[in-house]
Amino acid sequence: MKVTIREWNAVAAWRWDMPDDDVCGICRNPYDSTCSKCKFPGDECPLLLGECNHSFHMHCIFSWLRQESSQEKCPMCRQPFKSKSQDAPTAENQQPAREPDTSPL
Amino acid sequence: MQGKLPDGITLIQADNYETWLVDVKVIDPNPIYQNETYRLKFTFSGQYPIEPPEVTFVRDATHPIPYHPHIYSNGIICLDLLDRQGWSPVHNVESVCVSLQSMLTSNTKKERPEGDDNFVRYNTQRPRDINFMFHDDTV
Repeated sequence: MKVTIREWNAVAAWRWDMPDDDVCGICRNPYDSTCSKCKFPGDECPLLLGECNHSFHMHCIFSWLRQESSQEKCPMCRQPFKSKSQDAPTAENQQPAREPDTSPL
Repeated sequence: MQGKLPDGITLIQADNYETWLVDVKVIDPNPIYQNETYRLKFTFSGQYPIEPPEVTFVRDATHPIPYHPHIYSNGIICLDLLDRQGWSPVHNVESVCVSLQSMLTSNTKKERPEGDDNFVRYNTQRPRDINFMFHDDTV
């Protein structure tokens, strides 16, 4: 018997490689969801893992690190926050894509 | 705030993202705080949780202001984690309430801060704009 497939619809799901029930400590949204400012999860609202192994939505941790009072420390452990991944942007060399309702620095 | 709150902490009002009211009771036996319930008012700015909320005790017919060397009689609280320099955005309403509850639980001095009368009479600043000196780590 020969079957001819005329049409097919693929459905895919994705999630960040993170524990299921975890939320970003800053915005308290799930990692798989967005920061409080973005509408769509995914590459536009990525996660950032610190050398201290604490991770946050990139936009959340950048909002914090931009505060003078943060002293560029991790909100969880107060060690200097440095991005762990090689390819991810760091707070020093890239402005976040979105900077809603804050005045430019 | 999801799930169950710790003992002695009750959410009273959270109708919007501007002002919340939470009642706090001291559970462990401490003669200073027996049979009293204190009411906390949280005021959030649009920058919360990057910026700390403004947190004060409020007084009404059934809620006094607790005695503590770091709590003024007008309800203003001197606590480093509520100040810009001590705040962390991973704090939340629950963790702030637990910190204040434990600050009361461990207190043994039934007194107001030094200069309470003058502060309460003359202070016109909002709590967030006051430069507290965090000099006393013992209470």
